[in-house]
Amino acid sequence: MKKQQKQTSGMPLLIIGLVFVAAVIGAIYFYNSGTSSPATTASSNSTAARPTPNMANAPAGAPIGVNMLGSQTAAVTVEEFADYQCGGCAAVHPVMKELASAYAGNRNFRFIYRHYPLAIPAHDKSFEASAATEAAGLQGKFWQMQDQLFRNQAAWTANPNYRQIWSEYATNLGMDVQRFQADLAGIQTKNRVDADIQRGRALGVSSTPTVFVNGKPVPFSELNNIASLRRIVDAEIAAVAATQQSNSANSAPAAASSNQ
Amino acid sequence: MPGLRKLPLAAGIVALVGLADSVYLSVKHFTAEPVPCSLVEGCEKVLSSPYAEVAGVPIAAAGALAYFTAFSLAVLAAYGDERMWKLFGGLATLMAGFSLWLIYLQAFVIGAFCQFCLISAATSLTLFGIFIAAALTREKTSFE
Repeated sequence: MKKQQKQTSGMPLLIIGLVFVAAVIGAIYFYNSGTSSPATTASSNSTAARPTPNMANAPAGAPIGVNMLGSQTAAVTVEEFADYQCGGCAAVHPVMKELASAYAGNRNFRFIYRHYPLAIPAHDKSFEASAATEAAGLQGKFWQMQDQLFRNQAAWTANPNYRQIWSEYATNLGMDVQRFQADLAGIQTKNRVDADIQRGRALGVSSTPTVFVNGKPVPFSELNNIASLRRIVDAEIAAVAATQQSNSANSAPAAASSNQ
Repeated sequence: MPGLRKLPLAAGIVALVGLADSVYLSVKHFTAEPVPCSLVEGCEKVLSSPYAEVAGVPIAAAGALAYFTAFSLAVLAAYGDERMWKLFGGLATLMAGFSLWLIYLQAFVIGAFCQFCLISAATSLTLFGIFIAAALTREKTSFE
């Protein structure tokens, strides 16, 4: 028996070595494919993607323009559905901010933020967080509070004293904290959140962040990329400008096609 | 392949599945690539939870090391090294116990399941099952 073991002893080591090399190669492969993993992102977005060809301005549940940046009458709408306890939303948040500020002042552009708190156990504070930003909105501080919640997601998301933390944000933002707390507990802010959720459901949103540009869903892999987002928005603005030009032959506001 | 013990060989193959899975999860953990949150999946929640690391070491990486070790021991055992099979049994028992703990965390603490973590739990429980099966049928599979 000993002899046989000796004879074959090289083989298992060879196999082990090969597997080790394969594991390292596999890790490198996963690492390189990770940055633009089309398989995972495509599948998670395709469910949300299907039922929404041109519903950008569909009045499903929520009015346009409650939490909106840009022009009321803009032809190009970027609409984000997000959840304050979603890590992906927090990751995409700075890009969305950059996008909105890049087109600030462009009369063809508007950005709408929609609450879409996912009803899963891990996101136990999402709905209330949305209500908190609405409560801040009643004091004109929606975007500031939204920014605070996304930027400090890790600080409050698993903290049992999260309401106290939010109140500190409200204080720092110069808000009337007692009013903020009363509004947070009140029905008005919850109704606002519910309206956004209804709209998201009507559009078939099943994951966050989901971003529509004029009703067309943007793949998740593009959302972290300001350059490709701007390409998409620029293309929409150009398309709108083209139809406007063909509609009215003598008016010539072609400058709307692109900006920085 | 005559002369190779079947149960350790099977354990080696199962360990390979676990290895591939945990290497994938480790890379996901290290790249910290943002993932969308979904109504039906909870992977991002599990992988970004405080339980994804113990003392700064990602569990997925520890799992990759454990699966690689389990694979190596199983291969050596398949070629007849009985001591390696005993070591394998100890490791598989630890891994199975740890997997049960992770399932508990996902179900009751984090409140979300990650399918890749569940695959890992399944493979380590299978490894343990194979070891038990080998122990129960020791007379038949033993070398002498």
